[in-house]
Amino acid sequence: MQEISVWFIALVVLYTAIAVLDQISIQCGIYTPLFAATFVGFLLGDLQTGLIVGATLQLMTLGVATYGGATVPDYLSGAIMGTTYAIISGEGAEYGIALAIPIGLLLTQMDILGRMSNSFFQHYADRCAERGDYKGVERANLLGALPWMLSRMIPVAIGLIFGEVVINSINALIPSWFMVGLKTAGAILPAMGMAILMRYLPLKKHYAYFIIGFVMLAYAGSVFTIMAAALVGFALAALHYMRTQERQAAVQGTQASYGGMVKIDDEEVEIND
Amino acid sequence: MTNQTDTSTKLTKQDIKKVYTRNLFGLQLGWNYEKMQGLGYAYVIMPVLKRLYGDDPEKMKKALKMQLSYFNTSQPMSHLIVGADMALEEELGIEAEETVMAVKTGLMGPMAGVGDTLFLAIYRAICFSIAAYMAMQGNVVGLIIPLIACAAVLWVRYKFTYIGYKSGRKMATNFSDKLAPVTEAASILGLTVVGALIPSVVSYKTDLAFTMGEVTFAVQTDILDKILPSMLPLAIVMLSYWLLGKKKVNSTRLIFILLALGMLLGNLQNILVFVTGLF
Repeated sequence: MQEISVWFIALVVLYTAIAVLDQISIQCGIYTPLFAATFVGFLLGDLQTGLIVGATLQLMTLGVATYGGATVPDYLSGAIMGTTYAIISGEGAEYGIALAIPIGLLLTQMDILGRMSNSFFQHYADRCAERGDYKGVERANLLGALPWMLSRMIPVAIGLIFGEVVINSINALIPSWFMVGLKTAGAILPAMGMAILMRYLPLKKHYAYFIIGFVMLAYAGSVFTIMAAALVGFALAALHYMRTQERQAAVQGTQASYGGMVKIDDEEVEIND
Repeated sequence: MTNQTDTSTKLTKQDIKKVYTRNLFGLQLGWNYEKMQGLGYAYVIMPVLKRLYGDDPEKMKKALKMQLSYFNTSQPMSHLIVGADMALEEELGIEAEETVMAVKTGLMGPMAGVGDTLFLAIYRAICFSIAAYMAMQGNVVGLIIPLIACAAVLWVRYKFTYIGYKSGRKMATNFSDKLAPVTEAASILGLTVVGALIPSVVSYKTDLAFTMGEVTFAVQTDILDKILPSMLPLAIVMLSYWLLGKKKVNSTRLIFILLALGMLLGNLQNILVFVTGLF
């Protein structure tokens, strides 16, 4: 079994802080289980395990997004700890996935706690506003980053420092049928990501495109890749878009706008209050 | 413009860029259950307030109170609202207070709807699923895809700031209609990708087999694959889809259901042997 070095913990905790800031701002991807697990895998010299743990968690959580400020399980911290223990214990990717899910679920509460703590800064800002202290309002918002970061950094740090002992003892207790079941669950859990996405997309209206995508990979999976399916999907989308534009142009009569060029300057904005 | 009295102060390009950067990184830092993005919004618009009311404490107080009110929308779409807000305050000064409030509260709902579909659901379905699919096969290069897409989104958000700014309230409303055909087309792409993902990422195959005399039937290859390849993954996805439509099932509960299903399916052969052993 590999040792967890202090450097590793420091780097990973720092990564967690950056990741959570990414999650609440531009969402470029650092915050996703895919990137986090890959990063951990890279640090521990086992990129493959990192990629597989990350990819599985990613597919499972594709549709799980923080719509309108809803709290979702913390799969970022889950992925980090799951991957770490999968690699140092040498148990493989399935073990990491199986570990990441309960950790993520458990840490849901930390997200709620962090968001609740931020009410303090909101009140502080309200008081500053009474005095017209705009610098205080700015400060309040910037300090709001602290609960976000700490609510992830602390569990990850604790998990990496003390987790080994706990996990070893849990391991000794898990029966083999349970591990087999977890492995199967790992295989079917990405279904959840798909299902949530389908809930957000207009499946009932455009089910035909869903069938086209499915058939391509189900029957011709050896020929088609996801990239190929995405290109076919793009072509279908472009056709649909052109058709609606043409229909609109026909409705509008002479004011045709082919190719969907939207001229923003066409409309003069006047404020005549 | 009749009431152009003392508000001759104009925003500089620098101000707008500052607002853009703050909008990218600061809108949700102070997110809380009371006002949600309210605190963040005040932070984002602050360079404008400083420019316009910096030397008038009374106006500043009024503006701060207003801008700290409840706000919540899709982050990429918020640039349109912030842009319109900038234009309104620049033109009308603190007199715009009520108009700005109306624009903010009126637009955040519809913008959130469009933005969450476009920039969360569809965006993830395409970028992150392809990246994860490649990673599943041990390829790290796929991770570049979300990063490239993110750069594109940053550009779009930059444009949104200016579109909102240039056209004020009227266009910000119209723009959301213009996004409708784009959203529609993007959902088609999204649905095609989701359909294609199911056979490739839901990797469950049953190892169930029946022995009848000399012949062994493998359920997967001899029966299911002949009817429809990837039939079980599709069935599991459709089951999850159906369950999510139920009021009592959210994603967290669905995880437990799928974990239980995994336990059952993974040990199916053993369970069958056990059950047949009873007779």
